[in-house]
Amino acid sequence: MLSNVFMPSSAAEAAGLLLDGGWLLGGGTVVMPRVNTGAVPVSRLICLNRAGLTGITVNGGTVSVGAATTLGAVGADDRLSFLRPVIRSIASPPVRNLATVGGNLFVAQPYGDLAVALLALDARVEVVRAGGTRELPVGEPVDPAEVVSAVRFAVPAGAWRYRKAMRRKHNSAAIVTVAAAVTVEDGLVTDARIALGGVAPRPMRALAAEQALVGAPLDRSSVEAAAAAAHEGTAPFDDPYASAWYRARVLPVHVRRALLGEQ
Amino acid sequence: MVSRIVSLAVNDREQEFIVHPGMSLLTVLRDVLGLTAAKRGCAQGACGSCTVLVDDRPVPACLVAVETVEGASVRTLEGVGADGELDEVQSAFLDDFATQCGFCTAGMIMTAEALLAEQPAPTRADVVEAISGNVCRCTGYEPIVTAILDAAQRRRLRDGRPA
Repeated sequence: MLSNVFMPSSAAEAAGLLLDGGWLLGGGTVVMPRVNTGAVPVSRLICLNRAGLTGITVNGGTVSVGAATTLGAVGADDRLSFLRPVIRSIASPPVRNLATVGGNLFVAQPYGDLAVALLALDARVEVVRAGGTRELPVGEPVDPAEVVSAVRFAVPAGAWRYRKAMRRKHNSAAIVTVAAAVTVEDGLVTDARIALGGVAPRPMRALAAEQALVGAPLDRSSVEAAAAAAHEGTAPFDDPYASAWYRARVLPVHVRRALLGEQ
Repeated sequence: MVSRIVSLAVNDREQEFIVHPGMSLLTVLRDVLGLTAAKRGCAQGACGSCTVLVDDRPVPACLVAVETVEGASVRTLEGVGADGELDEVQSAFLDDFATQCGFCTAGMIMTAEALLAEQPAPTRADVVEAISGNVCRCTGYEPIVTAILDAAQRRRLRDGRPA
């Protein structure tokens, strides 16, 4: 049973409150369903929506997004139009008006498609704890006493690809999500970061697929080699959306389609 | 337990009430203020039947802890239309037979109001995307989509825009 909902005015204040236990409350899309059914194992919620963590700044090609910024705000920002397909593939517009960028890093698979995109973008996560701030690569574990305050990434200089296979066109969880940032120079791939969702307990980099691309032209033959390598390190699971077998079966198809920009 | 006094502008009227920790906006609307148009369907943000506008944006009211939106402006279906007259969205839903059991209707209309405020001339695909979080378990989506497009046209005519 909840005894208090705190409204800290900064991330540092939130981190201080977290030392005495409780859950962080972002947009409420994950926490409130449990509050509504009384299934909250904590007595304190620490809400981040008045903690000064909203807003998007773009400086040159470098983007910083406050952790409490909603997915809807990201999707509406013309400076981040490359992320619009990612945002539009997540939940529904009303839920996106609540769900936050920071929260998306912590939702269970097969949700968390923005987290997959941020992994492909090599994003950095700023976290605040009582007495300090640090930055770490997205995907690295955050201490329970830390508050994610912002994510930072560069607008991809090369090709940006995103594809999410789902049961319906809108508002459905991932069967497989593929996000990729690929740089091609003089006809050859010099850098490739491919991230996958829906095929492991956490979003993951497809390192073998990346290696298959680097040094080769971004053409059908190298992309098919990368797609074939994409299963390495995956641990697909069964859920109401798809079986592990199906996810493994269609993963290379969606990696190929994403990298070649096919429909 | 730390209960709080929260004030909201609900349908342009200042309202003040006491809330328990974690009480949802939907509970306040229905059980405290008696505004029962927004429906309690899934209580987890998946069905859209409780959709209301908070600071002009559609959100599932069941996912909003009301003490976290102190001072916000909230619009529910009761605050749509003026002087007892139906607005374009409501009348299009009526004329185009877009309601069956009616449970999803309030959420559908609030989502449509938000869409039309932002996009006066949506395409059919825009409407389908906009209502992708609103479940109609009578599965009457086609007349709902048609009614929203019809409402958009009625409103454009009202506003003297090209139909």
